[in-house]
Amino acid sequence: MSTIAASHVAEAHGHGHEEATGWKKYIWSLDHKIIGLQYLFTSLGFLLVGGALALLLRWQLAYPSTQVMPNGDVGNPMSLPFINPQFYNALFTMHATVMVFLVVMPLLIGAFGNYLIPLKIGTGDMAFPLINELSYWFFLASGLIMLAGFFVAGGAAAGGWTSYAPLSTVAAYNGTKMGQTLWAAGIFINGLASIMGAFNYITTIVNMRAPGLGFFRLPLTVWALFITAFLLLLAVPVLSAAGAMLILDLNFGTSFFNPAKGGQPLLWQHLFWFFGHPEVYIMILPAMGMASDVLSIFSRKPIFGYKAMVFAMIAIGFLGFIVWGHHMFVSGMNLVLSAAFGVSTMVIAVPSAIKTFNWLGTIWGGSIRFTTAMLNALAFVAMFVIGGFSGIFMASTPVNIFVHHTYFIVAHFHYVLFGGSIFAIFASIYTWYPKMFGRMLDETLGKIHFALTFVFFNLCFFPMHNVGLGGMMRRIADPTAYEHLRSLQPINQFITLSAIGLGFSQLIFFWNFFRSLKHGQPAGKNPWQATTLEWTVDSPPGHGNFAVTPTVYHGPYEYSLPGHSRDFVMQNEPPAPDAGSGSPARRPVHAG
Amino acid sequence: MPSSLLLSTLSPLQAEIRQTSVWWLPRNVNMFGHEIDFIFYVILWITGITAVAVFSVMIYFIVKYRARPGVPAIHSHGNSALEVIWTTIPVFIFLALAIYGNEQWTQMRLRTPPADALPVAVVGEQFGWNVRYPGPDGKLAKMTASKVSKDNPFGIDPQDPDGRDDFTTYGELVFPVGRPVRLYLSSKDVIHAFYVPEFRLYQDMVPGRVYDFVWFKAEATGHFQLACNQLCGQGHYKMFGKLSVVPEPEYEAWAKGKAPATTAGSEANSSTPVAVAGR
Repeated sequence: MSTIAASHVAEAHGHGHEEATGWKKYIWSLDHKIIGLQYLFTSLGFLLVGGALALLLRWQLAYPSTQVMPNGDVGNPMSLPFINPQFYNALFTMHATVMVFLVVMPLLIGAFGNYLIPLKIGTGDMAFPLINELSYWFFLASGLIMLAGFFVAGGAAAGGWTSYAPLSTVAAYNGTKMGQTLWAAGIFINGLASIMGAFNYITTIVNMRAPGLGFFRLPLTVWALFITAFLLLLAVPVLSAAGAMLILDLNFGTSFFNPAKGGQPLLWQHLFWFFGHPEVYIMILPAMGMASDVLSIFSRKPIFGYKAMVFAMIAIGFLGFIVWGHHMFVSGMNLVLSAAFGVSTMVIAVPSAIKTFNWLGTIWGGSIRFTTAMLNALAFVAMFVIGGFSGIFMASTPVNIFVHHTYFIVAHFHYVLFGGSIFAIFASIYTWYPKMFGRMLDETLGKIHFALTFVFFNLCFFPMHNVGLGGMMRRIADPTAYEHLRSLQPINQFITLSAIGLGFSQLIFFWNFFRSLKHGQPAGKNPWQATTLEWTVDSPPGHGNFAVTPTVYHGPYEYSLPGHSRDFVMQNEPPAPDAGSGSPARRPVHAG
Repeated sequence: MPSSLLLSTLSPLQAEIRQTSVWWLPRNVNMFGHEIDFIFYVILWITGITAVAVFSVMIYFIVKYRARPGVPAIHSHGNSALEVIWTTIPVFIFLALAIYGNEQWTQMRLRTPPADALPVAVVGEQFGWNVRYPGPDGKLAKMTASKVSKDNPFGIDPQDPDGRDDFTTYGELVFPVGRPVRLYLSSKDVIHAFYVPEFRLYQDMVPGRVYDFVWFKAEATGHFQLACNQLCGQGHYKMFGKLSVVPEPEYEAWAKGKAPATTAGSEANSSTPVAVAGR
């Protein structure tokens, strides 16, 4: 059987490189676990940067430095004078860029993908450890290059994270030639890092699964990362190419996107969104997979409709490539094309609905343990529902004419990306931190952090739906410049105060995270009594992960199986002679 | 009477400052807005009811199935009948929404504007609005995107007879109530967007293209703010224009007071309220 042959490959790789020691361990280690942790710490650092940018831009929206006061003075007395409109544009541009490319993607894919894939499929390392390590260094370099924009003449890129041409491609229009070039260079290098990670994940998952671990015995986390890797591999090169074209237009006189010289501004939008919409699913699929695992572990129940979950993710991955035009309903592209994209966009909501119902099915009849991880996973489901529903408004082409580019969409994607992805990331950190560091996070601090985050998140982002419906545009440095928006200003101030609450609540998490490295309760191998392979080895696992390549006999979610003394059956637990007492369909299949 | 109305229009325009329902949609004055609002409320009801149902079930499960000593979880891998049901129902709801939405989209964007529609050209630039109205002949000069330049924001042929009596303004739009208006949208430099929430109207204005498919009919008078809603540079946040909907006679009087554009340009001829009020 090919999986057995693969296991030899796996062992060869697991021991194919020596364990690095001392400080070298954190620079040159090829161990997927170290690389995963490098991604984790780096992106948590970038999370602080992105959060600080968010608070600055929220402050400007509540107390604009350009506001004309009733007495004629310019500048709200509470405002920060260094935030001028150009800097404000740079703030939201870099906030989004940092959060998308340096926080959510690397946390989900770089940190958890690297750390969990080999452990969950029972192998010693990734297929290409050196490329894996290069991927991290490219990622770090891309982040530093993008942030360097703040320190060059003209400041950082200020054309929005979407960098629509020709604003982004003509220096006379944007005034940030250097910053915009650094942005595009960063995007290009970041793309290379993603591509290196993606083919590594695909190769590893296809070839290096432990004996007996068929595709339909893979945990949903692995399935999600597997599908995500395909999305990355197909979508990211398009963005990298577009970024290179942007650099050429901006610096070397080409005019791919400049209509004054025969270029096409809409070409940029098609290229960007051909990447950008799969990107949305790149940032939510791994979150869905990991949240599924967390819900199952702490409900002590198998995933409800495992195959439906897998097929729903495959459907999302496929449909994700034919909906990009819904970002362009009002761009003036062919109007019949808009109608077609409207239909495909409505259709892609179906697999998301299926997943939501199956998550509810998973907690139904469970024995739910309200750990911090579980609370975050439940919040993920609830917030994803709200974010999904607000998406339906924009999928409707006529309603899109009204709500496009208002705060309604800002609310929408923060419900999906913060309410969805970030809550799932917190759930995952609470679940797998004990495996990564051998110690538990503090549950009391965790629950305080969760409660504050959940409350402030909703206070911050829900009213954005309302100001959006009220007609407030996104990306304006001063809402008080508009007479029809002035009566919304108290809501903007309320949102800002909530954002500050949300931001500072995260300090509790960071405190818990770093304090528990030394002072957390020892975790043991399997603190959550979970079933998958990573819980069969030490916390943290040694170099090479598995002393002996495990053989898998069970699906990934055998919780509360009747007739067993424990309420879980490890995937590698050899079947007891009388295990066939249950229904024959559930009898574990012996690996060939 | 008309002159006092005229003055009231041309005194510095005040957009409506909403005092009531600031948490909700502004009033709608566009004939197409009713359909948009209708679909909005249909989706709001569908998602609202579904959200209440989903969250009720979720909270019920969370309470009922909390871990209790001696009560094991049930072992279930799912239910195929349920999967079919909760796949099929969303498919029909979403397809119905898509089909109905497309129907309205077709009405709004693909239907030929009425012949009596008032043509108005709006060309964005960093950071303002060039506006061109037809003169007494009711016809605008033909716009050619490739001819748009710094000195010729509308991309017209100076010899075009239709353009001789056109007049221009800068950042000031006045529409007659009850008469269809057809917009010709373009941009001189970067992408801008024509956005008026009370009109439920958003359209990008892409340089190198002239969009002629946007039309609407204002059903009520009032003063509004036109906003650029596509990030266009550091002055983006204050790229707004004045937009008024007035009775037809008042519009005619306002149009009469405008001098025809002698060149292709616009800024030089844009009337200020002071100049016209002193007429």
